[in-house]
Amino acid sequence: MNKSKTVKRLTVRRFVILALLILITIGLWHIGLLDVAQWSLAAGRLREFSCGLFPPQLNSLPTLAGAMIETVEIAFLGTMLGFFAALPIAFLASTIFSGTAVAYAVRLMIGAVRTVPSILWGIIFVVAFGLGPAAGTIGVAFYTLGYLGKLYYEVFEGVDAEVLEAVRGVGCSRLQLMLYAVLPESANAILSQLLFMFEYNIRASAIMGFVGAGGIGYYLLGYVQMLQYRNLLTALLLTFVVVMAVDCLSRKLRTAILPANPITS
Amino acid sequence: MLKTAGLDTHAANLYNPCLIARDVWFSYDGHTHILKGINLMVERGIMTMILGRSGSGKTTLLRLLKGLLHPQKGSVEVRFSAAGRIPDRIIAYVPQHLGLVRNLTAVENVLIGCLSSIGTIRSILRAFPKTAIEEAQEILRELGLSHKMDEPVSALSGGQRQRVAIARALMLKPEMILADEFVSQLDPVTTREMFVIMHRFTKRGVGFLMTTHETDLVADYADRIVIMKEGVITYEGQQGGLSEPEMIELLG
Ligand SMILES: Nc1ncnc2c1ncn2[C@@H]1O[C@H](COP(=O)(O)OP(=O)(O)OP(=O)(O)O)[C@@H](O)[C@H]1O
Ligand SMILES: [Mg+2]
Repeated sequence: MNKSKTVKRLTVRRFVILALLILITIGLWHIGLLDVAQWSLAAGRLREFSCGLFPPQLNSLPTLAGAMIETVEIAFLGTMLGFFAALPIAFLASTIFSGTAVAYAVRLMIGAVRTVPSILWGIIFVVAFGLGPAAGTIGVAFYTLGYLGKLYYEVFEGVDAEVLEAVRGVGCSRLQLMLYAVLPESANAILSQLLFMFEYNIRASAIMGFVGAGGIGYYLLGYVQMLQYRNLLTALLLTFVVVMAVDCLSRKLRTAILPANPITS
Repeated sequence: MLKTAGLDTHAANLYNPCLIARDVWFSYDGHTHILKGINLMVERGIMTMILGRSGSGKTTLLRLLKGLLHPQKGSVEVRFSAAGRIPDRIIAYVPQHLGLVRNLTAVENVLIGCLSSIGTIRSILRAFPKTAIEEAQEILRELGLSHKMDEPVSALSGGQRQRVAIARALMLKPEMILADEFVSQLDPVTTREMFVIMHRFTKRGVGFLMTTHETDLVADYADRIVIMKEGVITYEGQQGGLSEPEMIELLG
C-alpha cells in the first residue's frame, strides 16, 4: 500500500518533468530560438556592438550626470510619495483597522494598482503631466503604493495578537491601536521594505526616460537609436555605479535595522 | 471536607465583589464547551489565584472576564465602585506574554494605559499631557524602573518587562488586574519581588486575579484559591483551606 503510493508519486513527478520539457521546446521553437542561424547572426551583431562601445565617450558625462541626478530624484520622491500614501491605505486594508468588507475592497484596489507596471504608469502620467520628471515621479509613486500597500497590510495582519489584545484592553480607539501598537511593532519591516523599494525604484526610474518621463533613460534609449554606442557606454557605466552605490548603502541600513527585529525577542 | 463552587456558598463572605460571572458557558468552535457553567465572584483588595492544568480553560476565563470574549450562555458583570467609570479602565488585562509593544520604550508602554483619555489629534502627535507623563514615570519609579524608563522594552529583562506590564495596567487606575500566568517564567527571587509589589497594591484596594499551574505559588502568595478542571470550577476557598496533596488531587 505504502510502496505503491511512493511509486505513484514518482511516476507523477516524471510525467510533470517530461511535460515541462515538451512545453519549453515548443515555446522555444515558436519564438524562433531553435534556429541555429539566428544565434550565429545574433552573436556577430553583439560582437560588432560591443566593439563600438569602446572607449566610452566622456564628453557626455556632465549632461548624463544631470540626468542621473534627476533619476535619483524621481526614485526618491516617487518612493516617498508612494510610501506616505501606502501607510494609510494599508491601515484601511487591514482587518485590525477596518471591517472585513472595507478591508477587502481596499485590497482589491491595491491589487489593481499593482497589476500596472511602473513604466506604464509613466506613460499614463506623461499623458497627464506632459514630458519630464513629474510624470516619472508620480508613476513611481503609484507603483510603490501598489507594492508597499500590499506588503504593509500583510505585515500589519501578522502583528502579535496578544499585543493587540493588551492594547485594545485599555479601551483605546482603532486609530490609537494602529499608531501605538501596530505601527511600532511593524516598524522594522516597514523600514526594511521601504529601503528595498527604493533600490527597486532606482532601476525603474532609470528606464522611465524611455517613455519621456524624465531621467537617464531618455539618453540610454536615444544613444541606442542614434547608434552612439560610446556615449551609451558612459551612460550605462554611470547607471551601474549609482545603482550599485544605492544598493550598497541601502543594504547596510537594512542590516543595521534587522538585528533589532522584534520577531527574535 | 471540600466545599464546591457556588455563588450562594461564598456570596455572604465577599464584601467587595468587582467581577461576577454567572453560569458562564463558552465554546470557541460552537460544539466543544471549554467553560461549563462557571460561577465566580472576584474581590477587590486581595490576590485570587486560579489554579488549573494546561488546557483547563484559565486563559479563556480571563479573556471572558475582561470582555475580550463573550459567553454563549450566562453573563459577566462588572461592579462599579463609583458611577461614571469606564469598564475598560476598571479591569486591566495582562496577557500571558505581557503584550508589550517591543519597539516602544518602557514609559511609552505605560502611557498606552492612558490612551482612552486623550483625543485623536493628541494621539497622532504623540502629545501626552504632562501630568500623564509624570504619572507614568512615577509608577515606573515606584516599581523600581527609574533607570530603564527610556529603554525600549526589547532591551529589558524578563522581570523588568513584567513590571512594565504591571505599570501599564496600573496607569488605568484599575480596580482589578487580570494577569495570565504572570510569574511563570521568572526565577523564585524575582517572583517574590513581583508579589511584594503586587501586595503593595492589593493593600490599596486593587484586586489581582492570576492564573497559574504551580501549586507552590498558590500556597505562598494567594489570599483566595479557585481550582479549575476541564472548564469547571472544582474548588473555591480561602488560602490555607487545602493541603498541597489535596490541591493536586483536585487538579486531576
Ligand atoms: N483561540 C482558540 N480557538 C480554539 N480553541 C482554543 C482557542 N484558545 C484555546 N482553545 C482551546 O481551549 C482550551 C482551553 O484553553 P486555555 O488557553 O483557556 O487553557 P489554559 O488553562 O489557559 O491552558 P495553559 O495553562 O496551557 O495556558 C484548550 O483545549 C484549547 O485548545
Ligand atoms: Mg493559558
